[in-house]
Amino acid sequence: MKSTALFFNRLGEIMLFLKDVLTTLWVRPCRLELVMEQIWHVTVQSFPTTAMAGFFVGGIMTVQFSMQVNEFGAAAYLGGLATSATIREVGPMLIAFMLSGKVGAFTSAELGTMKVTEQIDAIRCLGADPIQEIILPRFLGIIISSFFLLTVGLMLSVIGGATLGVVFAGINPQEYVRHIPTILGIPSMISGLIKCMSYALVLATICTYMGYFTTGGAKGVGRAVVSTSVLTMVSIVVFDWGTSFLGQLLQSWFAVG
Amino acid sequence: MIKYKKLVKSFGTRTVLKGIDLHIKAGEIVFILGTSGTGKSVLLKNTVGLMKPDSGEIWIDGENVSNFSEQQFLPIRKKCGMVFQHPALFDSLTIYENIAFGLRKHFNLDETEILKRVEQALSLVNLENILTKRPGEISYGMQKRVSLARTVVLQPKVLLFDEPTTGLDPVTTNSINTLIQNLSRKLNTTSMVVSHDMQCALKIADHIVVLDQGQIVDQGTPKQLLQSQVPLVRDFLAEARDLL
Repeated sequence: MKSTALFFNRLGEIMLFLKDVLTTLWVRPCRLELVMEQIWHVTVQSFPTTAMAGFFVGGIMTVQFSMQVNEFGAAAYLGGLATSATIREVGPMLIAFMLSGKVGAFTSAELGTMKVTEQIDAIRCLGADPIQEIILPRFLGIIISSFFLLTVGLMLSVIGGATLGVVFAGINPQEYVRHIPTILGIPSMISGLIKCMSYALVLATICTYMGYFTTGGAKGVGRAVVSTSVLTMVSIVVFDWGTSFLGQLLQSWFAVG
Repeated sequence: MIKYKKLVKSFGTRTVLKGIDLHIKAGEIVFILGTSGTGKSVLLKNTVGLMKPDSGEIWIDGENVSNFSEQQFLPIRKKCGMVFQHPALFDSLTIYENIAFGLRKHFNLDETEILKRVEQALSLVNLENILTKRPGEISYGMQKRVSLARTVVLQPKVLLFDEPTTGLDPVTTNSINTLIQNLSRKLNTTSMVVSHDMQCALKIADHIVVLDQGQIVDQGTPKQLLQSQVPLVRDFLAEARDLL
């Protein structure tokens, strides 16, 4: 009972924080150069990890699917099935997990340290708004660069799937590519991109919230980093279910239409 | 200049400030002394709106700021500069950018003027040639001075110091205390200094306030405090004498 109350209390706080950030964005937007700086930092820091993760996620899916489809003599559909599963489900989720460990943990640690060393209070004392000065640039920077990284990661997962499938599973590349458009339609791609956007929003909100409300010195910073990783991953799984459900609903409406 | 009327602040079940009544006159250097956890820093944080009082009033320059919102506090914070216990410099910015931060926020100045004012502020705290360094590249004592420069560059009418000499060696402590005195006199500011250092308070304060368990147990000029019969004040005085 107590933990349920704590969960809803935390959820409410996150929603209020998000409202403050969005209100600040509307009323007192931050300088564009600060956002660009964050986009650059996040992208450069996380591109190698994301690219590597994306490439191998595609490969894993191809190898796993090849075992199954070969049993049923449906090897021709391997490319379509593996790519569709990667883009709709596994790819965005696994790459988002990587980003939560890298970008999320870094941002909450950075903001948490600023909080416990009174840097955020110092910003307030200098007559500035910390949400506008430090939260908003990071929030927007993480959303934009995470969406970009997730999209690039998904593209690389298709390449990874084909490459590793050809090299290690002896798949015919022409056959692999032929059925991709048959199974992977526009709705699947839109679903993948919606997932990428929602994960980027979840990641940016949780890591900035956790960092901004850190208390309790070095131990508090450690707690904030761990909470960021755990909460982001759990939220991503929940959002994955939500977006999948919505995606299926939309797809059935389109099919009926 | 600053008035506290029956100021109360609690954290959970623990009441840290129990009805503080205090009047600080313009141009004075006031030392707030007391043992750890008696609410000295909480008093300062309430003054600049980093914390909200549970009840009571805070008047700054004729304005009751007790119920001000974060936005209403922005001009008050320009008027009341605070120097933190830790230097609280922005790690990712150079010393120049740290000091220029407030200037860029409040004044529409060109870069030449900003540079001039930053250099002036640094010379006030006896520092030079560190503009391009980052906080991690200078000593802790220098960071404290830069933090002071970042506050005085905005020319506040009130300077609030939260334990400015904690963690410093005796020589740097002495120089920071002299700096506080010189700055207050030179810039004609009202200064509130939270400290444990009775020796320094006796030397530079115009008025000393002693807090114990959230209440003022004694106050007066250094001369008056020397005659105090309050046990805590006697303890502080005895320690100051031991150090002489």
